[in-house]
Amino acid sequence: MRGWRTLFPNAWYVAVREYRSRARSRSFVIGTVLLGVIAFAATQLPVIIDLSMSTSQTRIAVVVQASGMPSDSVTMLDTQLNGQSTNAAAHKAFAITWLPGKDLAATQAALEAGKYDALLVVDRGASNDLAFALRTDMPQDGSAVQSISAALDSLEIEDRLNREGTSTAALLGPFSLTVSPINGTSADTISLSNEVSTSLLSTGLIVLIFMAIVTYGVWVAMSVAEEKGSRVMELMLNATTPLQMLSGKLIGNGAAGLTQYGIILIAVVGGLLAEGPIHQLVLGSNTGSQFGGLSPAVLAAFVVLFVLGFTLYSLLYAALGSLVSRQEDVQSATSPLMVLIMLGYFMSVFGLQSIDETWVKVASFVPFFSPYLMLARVSAGHVEAWEFGLAVLLLLAAIVVALFVAARIYSAGVLLYGQRVSLREVLKAARVSR
Amino acid sequence: MSLLIDSVSKRFGEVQALDSVSLQIEPGEIFGFLGANGAGKTTAMRIVLDILRPDAGTIAWNGIANTDLPRETWGYLPEERGLYAKMTVLDQLVFFAKLHGVKPKAAERETRDWLERFRIPEYADRRAEQLSKGNQQKVQFIAAILHDPQVLLMDEPFTGLDPVNVAILKQAFLEMKDRGKTLVFSTHQMETVEELCESIAILDRGRVVVGGSVREVRRSTGRQVVRVAVQGDLEMAWLGTLEGVRVTRRGQDYLEAEVAGGHDPGSILRAALARGCEVRHFEMMDPSLEQIFIEHVGQIDMSERTLAPKAAHA
Repeated sequence: MRGWRTLFPNAWYVAVREYRSRARSRSFVIGTVLLGVIAFAATQLPVIIDLSMSTSQTRIAVVVQASGMPSDSVTMLDTQLNGQSTNAAAHKAFAITWLPGKDLAATQAALEAGKYDALLVVDRGASNDLAFALRTDMPQDGSAVQSISAALDSLEIEDRLNREGTSTAALLGPFSLTVSPINGTSADTISLSNEVSTSLLSTGLIVLIFMAIVTYGVWVAMSVAEEKGSRVMELMLNATTPLQMLSGKLIGNGAAGLTQYGIILIAVVGGLLAEGPIHQLVLGSNTGSQFGGLSPAVLAAFVVLFVLGFTLYSLLYAALGSLVSRQEDVQSATSPLMVLIMLGYFMSVFGLQSIDETWVKVASFVPFFSPYLMLARVSAGHVEAWEFGLAVLLLLAAIVVALFVAARIYSAGVLLYGQRVSLREVLKAARVSR
Repeated sequence: MSLLIDSVSKRFGEVQALDSVSLQIEPGEIFGFLGANGAGKTTAMRIVLDILRPDAGTIAWNGIANTDLPRETWGYLPEERGLYAKMTVLDQLVFFAKLHGVKPKAAERETRDWLERFRIPEYADRRAEQLSKGNQQKVQFIAAILHDPQVLLMDEPFTGLDPVNVAILKQAFLEMKDRGKTLVFSTHQMETVEELCESIAILDRGRVVVGGSVREVRRSTGRQVVRVAVQGDLEMAWLGTLEGVRVTRRGQDYLEAEVAGGHDPGSILRAALARGCEVRHFEMMDPSLEQIFIEHVGQIDMSERTLAPKAAHA
C-alpha cells in the first residue's frame, strides 16, 4: 500500500477537480442561490408577520396590585411590546391601558364584554417576586402571548434589580406567568428559562449536521458512481491510488458543501443584520433581533463534530457508491446508510428531551451517533471536557478504520461492473486488491 | 532488461482468467496481444499495471517488481473508454498529466502539441461530451502518453477509428517506438499486428498458446501458403490432387493453398507449368497470423472479424 505514503499532491489535484466540477455545475449554482434566498427570506419572517399584523391591535388592560413597581414600568412595557419608535404616528401592535390599583372585578367585566383582548394582573408572589396572571383567549403559543411573556421577563428583571439583596443567580431565574382563558378556569404556567432557547438551538445545529451529511455525502457517492459510469475510472486508477482518489473526493466535495453552507450562512447572518433596518423601513419601528445561546464553545464543538461526522459518513458513502455502475442506482445502494443516519438523528431528537439519561450518554460516545448526540449534550451544557475529548477520539479512530475499509471496498468495487454488485463479491475481491 | 510476466494466474470465481501466463516483452518493441474476447487480455494488462493483484506470479520491468514501480512508468489506454464529460479536453489532459507528476505548464504545452499532431487543435477548449467517439479516443491516447511513460499498454486502441485516424494512430505508435518506448497493445486486427508488431502472444482462455516474434510464429507451423493464379482456369481442380496440398481459399481470380510441412511448395508451380498453364501469379508465404489464430483459438466470432478491421466496434 504505497498509497498511504504518497497521498499528496495527487489527492489535492483530485480535490481541486472535484471542487471545480461540483461548484461549476448548474445544480450547485441554482441550489445555492435558491437556498440562500430562502434563508434570507426566512430571517425576514418577523417583519412579514409584523406587517400582516400591523393592521390589527391587541388591547391589553394592566391591573397592578403589586406595590413598588419600577417607576418606568409603563414606558418599558410599551417599548418592549411596540418597539423603539421615533415616529409618533407609527402603528402600535399593542394598546396598553395602565390601571394601577383599579378594581379588578370591573376590568374583568370589561374584558368579558370584549373591551380588551387580554387582562394582565400584576401582584407579588413568592420571595417578593412579581407574579403575572394573563387572561386571554389568544393562543398561548401565539406570537402575541410570546411577546407579552418576553416583555414581562424584562420587567421582572428590572424589578429584581431595583430590590436589594437579589443574588445574580436569582436575577435571571424563571419568573411566574399564568395564562388562562377569559371565561375558563384552567391555568397554564409558562416558565421561561434559557432551557427553551438552547434546545431550539441544539435542534437547529443537529439539523444542520444531518442535512450536510445527507446532502453532501450523497455527492461523494454520486461522484464515485459518475466516474464508474463514464468509465473514466480506469484512467484514474492508473494515475492515482484508490486512497488518493478517495481522500481527494472527500476533500473536494466536502469543501464544495461547506461553500454552499457558508453562502447560506452569510445569507442568514446578513438577513438577521438587515432585519432591523428593513423592519424600520417597512413598519417604522425596530424590535431588534435576538441572537442568543450560541457560545464560542458550542460553535467550536459544532465545527469539530461537523467535519468529523461528515468525513466518517462520506467515507461510507464513497464505498457504497463504488458498488453501483450507474448514478441512478446510488439511491438504493446507499439506503442502508440512510437508515443509520436517520437513527442517529432521531436518537438525538428524542435525546434532547432527556439529555441526562444513561442511554443518551452512552450513545453520545458511539462514533456514528456522537456527531448528533455529543453536540446535543454540549449545547445543553451537560458535558465534561474529557467526555467531549473521548467522543472525538473515538470518532477519529472510527474514521481511520472506515478509511481503511472504504479504500479496500472502493478499490475492489470500482472495477466490478454489473447490475448490482453484492457485498460478498466485493469483500472477496477486496481481499486480493491492492 | 525487459517486461517480464512470470507464471501469472488470476481466478474470478469460477473463471480462470489467467492460467500461469509467462511472457517476455523486450524494451523498445511493439508487442501484440491477440485473443478472442474473454481470453484474458484486459486482465493481464490490469495486472501488469497493478490495478489488479494476481493470485500467483510476478511482473517486473527492468528487474523491478511492478508493485515497486512509480505509476508514471506506465501509460494506459483502457478498453472501456471514458473521459470526464463536462471537462474541457485541455483541462482534463492537464489534470491527468499532473496526476503523473508533470508540471502544469509543460503538460499544457505537450497537450497542445499532441492535439495539433492529431489534427484536433481546435478541440482544446471543448467539453469532452461534445467530441465524436473517434476524437475522444484520440484524446484518451494523448492522456496515456502525456507523462512520457516507458511502457504503453493499450487495450484495443484501433477499434472505432476511421481509416484516416487509424493511420494517424499508427504513425504515433511508430513515433513512440522511435523514442524508445515499449508498446503493448491488444487487438483483433491481424493486419495491424503484422504491420506493426515485432512480437506477439496469442491468448486463449487464460493461457498463452503461441508466442514469440511474428516471423517465428508464422513459421512455427512448418506449412507454407501458396497463392496462384493461372490464365483461363479458375477452378484449377488439379491443385487438390497434389500430395500435401489443400486449397484453403478461393479468391476472385486466384486460389490459395496450404502446403503441409515436408512438401515443396514449388511442386505447385512445376505442376502448373507441366500442364501448360499460363501462370500469372505465384507467391509463397508463411501462413498469415489470422490462419494461425484460427487454428489455435478456433473460429473467431464472425461479427468481430468483419466489423473489427475498419468500422466501429463498440
